[in-house]
Amino acid sequence: MVNILITALLRGGMYSLMAVGLSLVYGVMNVANFAHGEQYMLGTYFGYFCFMGLGLNPFLCFILALGGGFFIGALTEVVIFSPLRKRSGRNWLMNTFLLTLGLSMILKSGTKLLFGNSYRGITSYFKGTVSLAGFSASKDRVIAFVIAVVVIAVVMVFLNKSKFGRAIRAVSMDATGAQLVGIKLKRIYIVTFGLSCGFAALAGAALLSLTPAYPSNGTQVLYASWVVLILVGLGNVGGSIVGGILVGLLETICIQYLGAAWQDVFALSVVILILLVKPNGLFGKGVKSSVE
Amino acid sequence: MKSKVNGISGRWPKALGNLGLSPIMLIVFVVVAGLPLFTDNPFTLRLFITAFMTATLAMGFDFTNGYIGICNFGYAAFWGVGAYTSAILVKDFHVPLPLGLLGAVALTAVMGALIGCLTIRLGGIFASCMCWFVSLALLALARNLVDLTGGASGYSATFMFKPKMGYLPYYYLIFAVMLGIFLLLSHFTHSTMGLAFRAIALDDKAAGSSGINHIKYKIINFSISCAIAGLVGAFYIHFVGIMTPTSMSNEKTTEIMAICFIGGRGTIWGSVISSLVLTPILEQAKDLLEWRQILYGLLMILIMIFYPRGMAGLVEKVRSLVLGKARKEAGASEAQS
Repeated sequence: MVNILITALLRGGMYSLMAVGLSLVYGVMNVANFAHGEQYMLGTYFGYFCFMGLGLNPFLCFILALGGGFFIGALTEVVIFSPLRKRSGRNWLMNTFLLTLGLSMILKSGTKLLFGNSYRGITSYFKGTVSLAGFSASKDRVIAFVIAVVVIAVVMVFLNKSKFGRAIRAVSMDATGAQLVGIKLKRIYIVTFGLSCGFAALAGAALLSLTPAYPSNGTQVLYASWVVLILVGLGNVGGSIVGGILVGLLETICIQYLGAAWQDVFALSVVILILLVKPNGLFGKGVKSSVE
Repeated sequence: MKSKVNGISGRWPKALGNLGLSPIMLIVFVVVAGLPLFTDNPFTLRLFITAFMTATLAMGFDFTNGYIGICNFGYAAFWGVGAYTSAILVKDFHVPLPLGLLGAVALTAVMGALIGCLTIRLGGIFASCMCWFVSLALLALARNLVDLTGGASGYSATFMFKPKMGYLPYYYLIFAVMLGIFLLLSHFTHSTMGLAFRAIALDDKAAGSSGINHIKYKIINFSISCAIAGLVGAFYIHFVGIMTPTSMSNEKTTEIMAICFIGGRGTIWGSVISSLVLTPILEQAKDLLEWRQILYGLLMILIMIFYPRGMAGLVEKVRSLVLGKARKEAGASEAQS
């Protein structure tokens, strides 16, 4: 039982990190990002090339992946979303959904074109395992979990205490109102999308030893983070943390009792059932535009 | 200009217009139907068979997406379910092939109705995600039920026609299917049912309060659209001969979506045109490989940003320009005389 819980925690930590990024973007920019998995994929490539190609210290690799992800995210916002924002009106949310789908196609095929279809993985960043009360996990997993916890904590403090973080939250509540009090939306959007992509890339880099870098490794992650998001309600950043752990728990239980092959069927069925009872997600109350 | 749906001139018979047969579409269908007279190159025929399948799928997708405004992000899974059902019925249960197709249509229609039920309380991105989750679950099922579906390596099926007959029978069969579905969907969308769909897309509560049973219409819409996917899937597996879980994944859905959006959502005919134009071009160049996906993605982004209404929007703009000019000239000449 304890084993299952710990495995679920280790598994869920990164889901939480991914979901927090996704949720932030949805809450602040009202963007349904379906290229989130591809940003994770890019992160695995960053991690691989920094670690194997340049032989850097793992932590430096993570920071570089975060930075790279941030840059790509910021670029996406400037090149794609800002022209769309100028033109699109009523169907904005669905348009962003389709737009990011197109983006994910481009990123996926682009990496395939550049790096081919081969797997680029590493056995581990840090050798050895960590044992705790009769339970042992590889150091990589534990460190990835710690990173996720630290980053999420920093983000929460950033959002709640810093001036810029508060501005981001203000925009998520009411963009027009925020503009009225002098918040520059453009900057907020760039930073938010950059951060979200940065988190995804960081998660990718940190989990490189578990999922090797190849063009379509983001699909699984994408749907796991969307499951989390839908499960807890869109745009609920705090809930995403719990949701990530919950999904991790669901999958672990399934792997333990039904076998790894059924994990998708099981986790998805549970989520579908939950959605039937609570269409706005577990913690969703006043969800922004649940019908649009 | 009695009715907008009619062709370039307002004199076009309304009955034909209600079936979606504007002059352009009539010409397109006649040209496509006559194509095998001019070429018997199997490669060309195969390209067009693929284009017809994609066109039909895109129409079915458009029927949900463009009319009740729910983007069925798991569409390819229903296509896959149709394929598996028909193949399994024919091979394992020794059912005659037409009955196999019918079985595929029936099963996907029922599943479509179920999806319709699942998404009753959901809208927008929630509904899309629900469809997506269901499709992922179906995909995982196809992968795991190895005894039934052959698992990840796919399920091979018998061909519909004997190999020595070539591609012609396939060509005309799928052409007939495409034409039939086109007429059917155009008829539906021009009827009161289509009006109800549009009302639901705009605001389902308001539609409900003006006497439209939105639950009923949503379920009808989903089951028709999914049954179309099932039919095409069943045709596909007896044409290509194999179906794998990977080919029913989201990439297929995204391609269908790209075709539909490039054609113009909520038009039915836009999907046909864009598929007939784009599929042969993009499928033909096999060396494009990854570039094909990149092109689809790029087109989708550009369309979304600059022309959200797709080719149909472009055509309408041109037509209104031409008509507006003609009207102005008519007005001017009247004033002169």
